[in-house]
Amino acid sequence: MAERVVVTGIGIISALGTGINDHVTALRKQRTGVHPISLLRTIHSNEFVLGEIKMSNDELSAYIGLPTGDNGYTRTALLSLAAMKDLLGETDIELLRSESLAFINANTVGGMSKMEDIYADVLKPDTQQHNIKYIDTLDCAESTERVVEFYGIKPFMATISTACSSSSNSFIMGARMIRQGLVTRAICGGGDALSRFTLNGFYSLKNVDKQHCKPFDQNRGGLNLGEAAGYCLLESESSAIARGAKIYGILSGYSNTNDAYHPTAPSPTGEGAIRTMKEALGMAGLRPDEISYINAHGTATQNNDAAEGLAIQNVFGTTPPPFSSTKPFTGHTLAAAGVIEAIFSLLAINERILIPNLNFETKMEELEIAPLKEYAENVDLRHVLSNSFGFGGSNVSLIFSKA
Amino acid sequence: MQPLYIISACSISAQHTYDAEAFLNPVINSGNGQLYAIDPDYKKYINPVAIRRMSRMLKRGISAGMRCLDDAGIKTPDAIIVGTSRGSVTDMEIFLHELIELEENALNPSGFIQSTYNSVNGWLAMLSKCPSYNQTFVHRGFTLELCLFDAMLALAETTETKHYLTGAFDELTPEYFYIRNKIDYYKKDLPDSLQLLAHSDTTGSVGGEGAHFFTVSNQKGNALCAIHGLDMLHKPTAKSLQEAINQMLLKNDLTTGDIDVLVCGMNGDSRTSFLTDPVVASLSPNTTVAVFKHLSGEYDTASGFGLWLANYLFVKQTTPTEVVYKRGAAQKIQNLLFCNVTISGNATLMLLKGV
Repeated sequence: MAERVVVTGIGIISALGTGINDHVTALRKQRTGVHPISLLRTIHSNEFVLGEIKMSNDELSAYIGLPTGDNGYTRTALLSLAAMKDLLGETDIELLRSESLAFINANTVGGMSKMEDIYADVLKPDTQQHNIKYIDTLDCAESTERVVEFYGIKPFMATISTACSSSSNSFIMGARMIRQGLVTRAICGGGDALSRFTLNGFYSLKNVDKQHCKPFDQNRGGLNLGEAAGYCLLESESSAIARGAKIYGILSGYSNTNDAYHPTAPSPTGEGAIRTMKEALGMAGLRPDEISYINAHGTATQNNDAAEGLAIQNVFGTTPPPFSSTKPFTGHTLAAAGVIEAIFSLLAINERILIPNLNFETKMEELEIAPLKEYAENVDLRHVLSNSFGFGGSNVSLIFSKA
Repeated sequence: MQPLYIISACSISAQHTYDAEAFLNPVINSGNGQLYAIDPDYKKYINPVAIRRMSRMLKRGISAGMRCLDDAGIKTPDAIIVGTSRGSVTDMEIFLHELIELEENALNPSGFIQSTYNSVNGWLAMLSKCPSYNQTFVHRGFTLELCLFDAMLALAETTETKHYLTGAFDELTPEYFYIRNKIDYYKKDLPDSLQLLAHSDTTGSVGGEGAHFFTVSNQKGNALCAIHGLDMLHKPTAKSLQEAINQMLLKNDLTTGDIDVLVCGMNGDSRTSFLTDPVVASLSPNTTVAVFKHLSGEYDTASGFGLWLANYLFVKQTTPTEVVYKRGAAQKIQNLLFCNVTISGNATLMLLKGV
């Protein structure tokens, strides 16, 4: 039987701050990072709220140790570098340089946050020199290769893009490689920076709530977007024990399925989500009633919450374990959502807290279940399920268990 | 590693590859440095209502993928693992232009949706009714190879017979060509794309595009070849590339003399010839060197054309003159080494054997 895969390192930057402490504090105080727009340049700046990281590109560059100004790094790459810097705060980089490593990154719009600013100039015959250095930064692998080169690691690397489930998929690939003995460790996660492209994309789909989002609420009006990057260090349990590493949790189950139903909408009965959760439970060898908390995808869009709510009800019955969407804290961070919520699941286990579903007021008519409203402490969480669902019918569930 | 059998291969490219019997008959060339794919009849796999709203990349990805499954005799694959470096560039451009020109007002979501990198994956899942594992890789010159690698990872966890649909696609547009020309991705003056490799002393290649799909399996079935080695190298040196080749051959109990064909992704760019020239030079007189980027053009997933060609060579058991860079003594095609390089600095290796 393949060895268990454990999480031994966390790096995170989101609208709630940088590092585990900022995040635990905000989650405990139930303080949202979603606010009126102050950084993204958009004509909608007075209309929407966003989960922005309140650091300019120059501030991020300085934090990472890069020159400020037009340094050729997009905000997406900067967020990934910042999250990795946080991970390296508790992980010896020599460990990552010395043994076989995989770096599985995830991303949905690459360097669009920069390209949309300079595109008009890029199309001119005499593009300004400081914009030329960003010409080849639009693709998703840009941030992956930037991280590898900046930190001087030589991992097996890959970049995944399955919309809003992207970074959850990176956990599956990393875990598979560890279980098969191809690498000792894998850094899994992803990042996305806010852009007008994605904001207007979701807005044109009528999926954005101008107020604070209300997942699983009868009167929900869509999502709030956010930006974030996060990485987890995964390794075999024996390797973690041998080096005396702190173990945040065990990745005890995972599953990837596809709705095969519609390009952007989930199957209304939640079939895909049901199968994904059941498969993950099956892999972990757990009954539904052994799950202590569900970190739902819960985007607060009409479609997602109806389908996911029905799916949770189907798998867990009308008295499911406490479940919540943490997107009211961070906004929907797209490719990063999976890893950010995986990290929240691990923090919930380690801090023994239940994270409430902010902004919830009214139970959905079609559901008999409602998300967790109240924050709770001193709760023994044995197994936590984290869902991520995306465009293209892409469904991923991860299960983290207490070490 | 277990061999990864190639059960079927389907390609939409600048050459006549979708109808493989017409391959190289005639050879297609270009006088403006851009090789655009030949569009087949897309109505076979996509209904007329849906087709009107689809961009060409979506139509191409769907058609190449579904045709590939047809050719393998598979209705529903056990997984769909597909990649793209840039996704649907046309859709991205449409949405980005609207965003700028309409100043963020009343935008049409189609471009946004279709530019999502996994949109072809979603459509393929719907049309082949495949609710299983579905993955999208988006990593420059590693994209297709990561799909194949991930298929191997999944197959290593099962003892049952499985068939996975793998593949990769990328698109060239005039605007994309114009932009990347600013960083010397394409040759400034190349009157005939077929002459690409005769101009390897300057920077740039020929722009290209395509969609290439492969039904792969852990069982031989009707396969004529299988992948026995796969490696991805980020910004290698000539030395580290050669070492990787040696390692791959060693693992398979082969020496350079055993290689019947090298399919080489040399792209005519003077910035990558330092990698490919020594590989070609290190081979024995036995090996025939086949090249393809003068036919496919250069793009991040052009290795799909190369792998399609490799499979074609196993089928035909002869290397057509139009792809021969150097003719070797080998008569049969049993061991084939595939080496691709991209301008962004990634190299990939595959070892294929006849079955």
